[in-house]
Amino acid sequence: MNTKSILLYGFIVFFQFFNTAQSQSAYQIGLLPAFNINNKFKKGWSLNTKIESRQLLQRGVFNTSIDRKNQYVLTDLSFITAKKVGLNSRIAGGFLMRFEDGAIHHRFIQQFIVVQRKTGYRLAHRFFTDQTFSKVESPQFRLRYRLTTEIPLNGESVDPKEFYIKINNEYVNSLQSSAYDLEVRLIPLLGYDLSENLKIESGLDYRVNSFIRNNTRHSFWMSLNLFLEIGG
Amino acid sequence: MKTSIKTTPFYLLFLISIFFSKNLLSQEKYERESRIKQKNVPTEALHFFDSISNINKIKWYKEEGLNKISFEAKFKINRTKYSVEFDSLGNIEDIEIEVDWRDLKTQLKDTISAQLNKNCNSHKITKLQIQYTGSKADLWHQLKYQAINPNAIVHYELIVKCRQSKDVNLFEYLFSEFGKIVSVSKIVFKNSSHLEY
Repeated sequence: MNTKSILLYGFIVFFQFFNTAQSQSAYQIGLLPAFNINNKFKKGWSLNTKIESRQLLQRGVFNTSIDRKNQYVLTDLSFITAKKVGLNSRIAGGFLMRFEDGAIHHRFIQQFIVVQRKTGYRLAHRFFTDQTFSKVESPQFRLRYRLTTEIPLNGESVDPKEFYIKINNEYVNSLQSSAYDLEVRLIPLLGYDLSENLKIESGLDYRVNSFIRNNTRHSFWMSLNLFLEIGG
Repeated sequence: MKTSIKTTPFYLLFLISIFFSKNLLSQEKYERESRIKQKNVPTEALHFFDSISNINKIKWYKEEGLNKISFEAKFKINRTKYSVEFDSLGNIEDIEIEVDWRDLKTQLKDTISAQLNKNCNSHKITKLQIQYTGSKADLWHQLKYQAINPNAIVHYELIVKCRQSKDVNLFEYLFSEFGKIVSVSKIVFKNSSHLEY
């Protein structure tokens, strides 16, 4: 699979979902900045700390009303410990705290990641489960798979001071109060490698959910990610 | 105003990290490989391919290390991958041809395998290239006529996934024509936390 076919695949998935589910669907638009610190230790251990925030700019229903609402939504703070278990794989587990509307949601996370190094690009497969508990909502259980593609825009790998394209495609199965839902995410990002230890990315985080219950909701978040590596 | 107060610490973290990134930039190891256009390739290197007609498309790369700049031409002949390396002035350094492990002679495979078995609890060869070095005329002749030149010096470059007592890593081995280890270097992967989290 070459670079062109990966990009083509991404755009087909994006437009397919957008076209089939747009009419009379709810949407929200906002900002999604995230700051991620990955601290490497000896013997393949690492600790990932992430803070992510959401700022809603607008929401409404397509082709009808626009409800302009500029408001802070939530902040997530997560700590994930990972251990290298193979040449290209890592197993990880951790905890996330979500601060939303004065309540704190607690999420337990387990994940397994495989990073494949191909000629001219990298692929990462992430298998992810989480369980969320809070005083205001029923427990939520999710099973997720994410495929991430990194394509350097210069040469066969991303070097310092070079741009790259990153595309995330994730499928999130969730179960809450016996109700099942599927959320599909497509996140094309433009990244820049400031140094071996620091990357910055920006792009669109598009999510569509509730379409299997005919109550489709689209989310468009403007992502701004910063990744900092420490130690190693 | 309530919103901006809640989100201020987050943006402060961004600013702090950008400030510290300047320190990181000054400490980084400067080694990069980038695709370049033909017009930026030394003339000497371009001329090497004159009158070699069986190559359709050449991709050119520039490799910059701390003390060395080199140029690399990558192309295929009859579906076989070739890589020709030149120094900064465009003088040829070597030709590498990707081959299958099965293509090596049994005796050579046995010698290499014995060495790898000694170094690794278990191993897997993920890439194998035959490396030819020699005079410009000899290497040109070899590439044009696809014939092995007896004057060329032959090495075997292997990328090996090697499991040792508690860890698994990727190594680049260079073996001599007779299967003796010339050099071993551990391949350090680029960070991938931005792909994992």
